[in-house]
Amino acid sequence: MHISEGILSTPVLTAGAALAMGGVALGLKRMDYEKIPEVAVLSSAFFVASLIHVPLGPTSVHLVLNGLVGVLLGWMAFPSILVALALQALLFQFGGFTVLGVNTFNMAAPAVASYYLFNLLVRRGNRAVTAVAAFLSGALGVGGGAFLIALSLVTTGEEFLSVARLVFLAHLPVMLIEGIITSFCVLFLKKVKPEILEVGM
Amino acid sequence: MKKSEVRSQKSGGIPKNQRFFGAEDSGTVHEKLKGFRGWQASIVVCILLLTAYCLLPSTASAHRVNVYAYAEDGKVFVEGYFVDGTKAMNSLVEVFDAGTGQKLLEGKTNKEGLFSFRIPRLTALRLVLTASMGHKNDYIISREEVAEALGQSGVNSQEAEVRSQTGLAESSKQRTGQNDEVAAERVVVSSKEIEQVVTKVLDRKLQSIKNILLKMQQEASRPGMTEIIGGIGYIMGIMGIVLYFKSRRNT
Repeated sequence: MHISEGILSTPVLTAGAALAMGGVALGLKRMDYEKIPEVAVLSSAFFVASLIHVPLGPTSVHLVLNGLVGVLLGWMAFPSILVALALQALLFQFGGFTVLGVNTFNMAAPAVASYYLFNLLVRRGNRAVTAVAAFLSGALGVGGGAFLIALSLVTTGEEFLSVARLVFLAHLPVMLIEGIITSFCVLFLKKVKPEILEVGM
Repeated sequence: MKKSEVRSQKSGGIPKNQRFFGAEDSGTVHEKLKGFRGWQASIVVCILLLTAYCLLPSTASAHRVNVYAYAEDGKVFVEGYFVDGTKAMNSLVEVFDAGTGQKLLEGKTNKEGLFSFRIPRLTALRLVLTASMGHKNDYIISREEVAEALGQSGVNSQEAEVRSQTGLAESSKQRTGQNDEVAAERVVVSSKEIEQVVTKVLDRKLQSIKNILLKMQQEASRPGMTEIIGGIGYIMGIMGIVLYFKSRRNT
């Protein structure tokens, strides 16, 4: 889920960069010494996830994993996703450097939302509650990202409702798959290392 | 397989009271420092994802859109496809004059991701393909290629020269008799025929090469293992740097 270079106007790019910088600053401030390796590993996971294509009916979709990154990292999702997106732009030519801010914000903001809505449930809930909350945070990550992409594209003159519907429909199956994967990951992590779900905010 | 192995290994190593869900959700600082078992787990997730990437047949989906185009017979053929080779259907193709930046025409790709148009004028063309959801790329066709396709250089101009020469011969010989005229006409026709045959054969032979080129371009645009591993390496490197600076501040 990237917007390519040369599509968005300068005000949108600037606004995106500013918002992303704010998020990254907040994230870096909250990054404990112990959390750094986790941030890096989740960054790698996000970096690789876009390359994994899940066959689905006539087409296939790829993972995003921003929900997982968000529910585990909170605000630290911003620096984590920024690094991954920068490397994707550098090595795969996905997105680009001028749109880095916008793309970071579009992916990381829903991730942070996932954290605020579901992290507590994931930590305190029983197995079923954890699974459902993790599923929802994965789905919210993708769904929210799709919504923000549609919102960014409106400024290029595309009609919001039609774009939003297109982006949303295209990502509906991704939301489902992403939710399931996030659910499995979180359950697994909670079992082997519950304190990883703690985020010092 | 891998996951279950690791899981059993991990759960074997964890004190019993921690195995229950929700029990002692935090763990003390001491426990945290005991080892990064958690992020080891995330490394496993990461490796699993990587394996999945290698194993799954990556058929499609968006991410980066590529454009490939060639000019032939006065027309330009444009093909749009995504990183994995899926065709970019129903995407907007805009054609610009590469020199002046003036927009010449636009159209949409069909179900095969193809779009073709008559060359509007002799100039280098810039083709911009905009696929849905914010994907965009461009391709430039050089002036020479356009000229070639319009038949204004190379073999064609030679042919024109031959024609004008024979034309001259024709006019000079016109007075001498009709037989000569017929002969001259035959020369013109036959050179045209030769050209047509050559073009046809060349087209057929070049088609396979064009296909190979297209395939190579598609393969080259797909991220390889080197880039992926490299990227993860970079992230680990960045982690190291951050850890270094944080540890210096702590001590």
